[in-house]
Amino acid sequence: MIKISSKNIDVFYGKKQALFNINLDIEENQVTALIGPSGCGKSTFLRCLNRMNDVIDICRVKGQIMINDFDINDKSCDVVRLREKIGMVFQKPNPFPKTIYENISYGPTIHGMAQSKNEMDEIVETSLKKAALWEEVQDRLHEPGTGLSGGQQQRLCIARAISVKPEVILMDEPCSALDPIATAQIEELIDELKKDHTIIIVTHSMAQAARVSQNTGFFHLGELIEHGSTDKIFKNPENKKTQDYITGRFG
Amino acid sequence: MTEAPHTVKSYEEELKNLNSNIIKMGGFCEKSLGNAIQAITTRNSDNAESVIKDDEKIDKFETLIEQQVVNLIALRQPMAIDLRETVTALKISSDLERIGDLAKNISKRTLLLNENLPKNLVDAIIRVSSDVQKQLKSILDAYLERSSAMAINVWESDEQIDDLTNFCMQEVIKYLKENEKNLSDGTHLLFVTKNIERIGDHTTNIAEQVYYLVKGEYLEGDRPKGTEPIVTGEK
Amino acid sequence: MNKNKEQLLNKRYKAEKRFRLYGKSAIFMALLFLTIFIFKIFSTGYSAFKKTWLIVPVTFDAELMMLEQNPSKEDMKDADYYDIALKSMADLDPNANEDQENELKRMVSYFFEREIKRELLKDPSLIGKTKDVYLTASDDLDQVFKGNYPRDLPEDQRRVTDYQLKIFDQLVEQGKVESKFNLSFFTYPDSREAELAGIASSFMGSIFSILVCLMIAFPVAVLAAIYLEEFAPKNRFTDFIEVNINNLAAVPSIVFGLLGLGILLAVFQLPRSTPLVGGITLSLMTLPTIIIACRASLKAVPPSIREAALAMGASKMQTTMHHTVPLSMPGTLSGTIIGLAQALGETAPLILIGMVAFVNTIPGSPLDPAASLPVQIYIWAESAERGFVEKVSACIMVLLGFLIIMNLFAQIIRHKFEKKWS
Repeated sequence: MIKISSKNIDVFYGKKQALFNINLDIEENQVTALIGPSGCGKSTFLRCLNRMNDVIDICRVKGQIMINDFDINDKSCDVVRLREKIGMVFQKPNPFPKTIYENISYGPTIHGMAQSKNEMDEIVETSLKKAALWEEVQDRLHEPGTGLSGGQQQRLCIARAISVKPEVILMDEPCSALDPIATAQIEELIDELKKDHTIIIVTHSMAQAARVSQNTGFFHLGELIEHGSTDKIFKNPENKKTQDYITGRFG
Repeated sequence: MTEAPHTVKSYEEELKNLNSNIIKMGGFCEKSLGNAIQAITTRNSDNAESVIKDDEKIDKFETLIEQQVVNLIALRQPMAIDLRETVTALKISSDLERIGDLAKNISKRTLLLNENLPKNLVDAIIRVSSDVQKQLKSILDAYLERSSAMAINVWESDEQIDDLTNFCMQEVIKYLKENEKNLSDGTHLLFVTKNIERIGDHTTNIAEQVYYLVKGEYLEGDRPKGTEPIVTGEK
Repeated sequence: MNKNKEQLLNKRYKAEKRFRLYGKSAIFMALLFLTIFIFKIFSTGYSAFKKTWLIVPVTFDAELMMLEQNPSKEDMKDADYYDIALKSMADLDPNANEDQENELKRMVSYFFEREIKRELLKDPSLIGKTKDVYLTASDDLDQVFKGNYPRDLPEDQRRVTDYQLKIFDQLVEQGKVESKFNLSFFTYPDSREAELAGIASSFMGSIFSILVCLMIAFPVAVLAAIYLEEFAPKNRFTDFIEVNINNLAAVPSIVFGLLGLGILLAVFQLPRSTPLVGGITLSLMTLPTIIIACRASLKAVPPSIREAALAMGASKMQTTMHHTVPLSMPGTLSGTIIGLAQALGETAPLILIGMVAFVNTIPGSPLDPAASLPVQIYIWAESAERGFVEKVSACIMVLLGFLIIMNLFAQIIRHKFEKKWS
């Protein structure tokens, strides 16, 4: 099942074009990894999917991105509703400088998802459990989230993202600031989460892309060079550029 | 190698080294096979002994290549073409090692054979073995040149070898039937023939590996078979 | 080659040592100036916190006070104390002629009759009795007693006559002169007489001005800063505004004074000399400071926090109000306090809007005329009388104390509420 279908996406930063005619379909309940050298546009593409590029004044996005047969670049699309459906986890763990509980409850609060304190407690608990963090923090829910370790902070951010039950989770290099153990925990988590969510992950680590994803897209200089199943890309890519990149022959 | 060089030079070097070890090992196998066949046809026991000695070298190459492959996988995590390069190197080396073993076995049996063997029998063995020798040479060339076309060629010619082997077998069986005294020589010759055929099979295996290495896909379809081998002497 | 290298290395070490020395001497110089300044202020100012009293026996003669038999409290309030006050002073020297009696009267402040009246109101049973009453010594005798007055000048060059000195010395010998903590410095409004002048009116004036300034400048500045930083599109127009705000911060304060004079007083007809007008004028001055501080601390909030909130589906407004602004508050508040401290020390604009006028009442609201501490310093520094010299320093000490407390407060806020973000 195709969850997200992008057609002819062009992105411009001012006069500079950052993405050229991207056509990429994202499978539902699978992990899609986007790889490519720095500045190739993979993060830009990711940020198109929840319209985070709106924040940048000079950024213009052209083309169609269909999610559930609905074009999110359409004027009628409400960004707030869209971002409720499409969560995002960032490169650097960025918990709010508030308590762990408040970090999780923020999303459900602003979207009015809990009617009572009990309901909210439940959302916080299930979110933390799904993010495999409950065991570690259940005794200190009211301590600041910034006091956790880097890996825990990132899982807190994932818990925060899934607290509003998004259909899609975007991850922008979620492990680049973490040690291997924390990285492994996040990867295990991604594997678990794909049962309920469609996940798109941007990563610089090809090994990580190979480990966690079912599909991989390779971006280079703003173009989608190749897209296909992960084992195909890593065993026998069709495009020479893809091969050169993943075997470390670039540049 | 036709690929652009790696950014990490030592990685590049390790892959090149692996590659050249396969070539060297292949060279030794070629030489061993040549010597083994020489030994049968010319009844030269020096040749046979050098084959037995060379097998040790070939075995050492196999161990070396295995270590190199394990190191590459553990330390470099090769991907795509590099991954195929590494994995096929492992498999090719084990096929080559088997070829070395079989050549050794041929030589051992050669030492036990009588001085005078019927000419037609020797000719039959020379025909099949020179074909196998050619196959081995061309598959090693195919590996060196990364040529899938050459690999397919080798793969398809296995049919011919099977036919020649069958013919050779029939000759040996005939020879066996002639005289009870021929029993010992005949049996050894049966094994020699079978060994040569096995070497041909390993060459075909290598051809499949070379094809996978170049194309990233497996050779599809059944391997072409010659006429069914005749085990009994009935005709 | 090696030797060269060694020389080079030595040179580098020496250069570093020299640089450290320069730095240390710069700090030493700064500290030296500061110490001299503070020492000067304190050494001249500390005596202003003491006040000299003459202890004079006063006979509460009902007749002289024009009081009936068994007077009520009201009667006592309306009674005439001038005569008994005069008489008490004259009695210090029974042989005094009329001129000398006049001189005796001028040994104490013109408040002396009020001080006597206060004594009686405290204890009505004193009528007909005699009691030693503390009377404020005149500023010149105060200075004499504190040792600040040159006694060896020729008589026609000083304001204290030889006769007054003689009587004063007698009183000192009898232990009838006493120096006590000068509470009136804090409780009295300004006065032409140095011995009676206090900072109450200017202190209250300053407080009212700062409050008005805070109430106007803070909300306006914070809203402007938030809008400019978070919501306004970045284009030439907003750039232009930004440049102008920065320029506004550099405008000399006297220009704001003129603005207050020309617009607040002339056009809006607000009452002159009041903390209201002063506060508005000061708020114009403080506005850019707070805007700049607030924008800087908004900028310092990591964009990752904004992204996190936006990605959770928070609207721009929610992101700003829930996350960015609370995180920027410590910086904004300490910037505000520093801006207010600046405003507190401002003189020129206040002089222009008339807060320099002599005010001898304590203001009860921002609409009453008042002075302010720096203006008070200016007024007193202009006065000729010797008694005001120490008052100027004392007033500076109060102002400095005020500023130090505000800055300390700013520091505390910054440390206490500054949350660490990843």
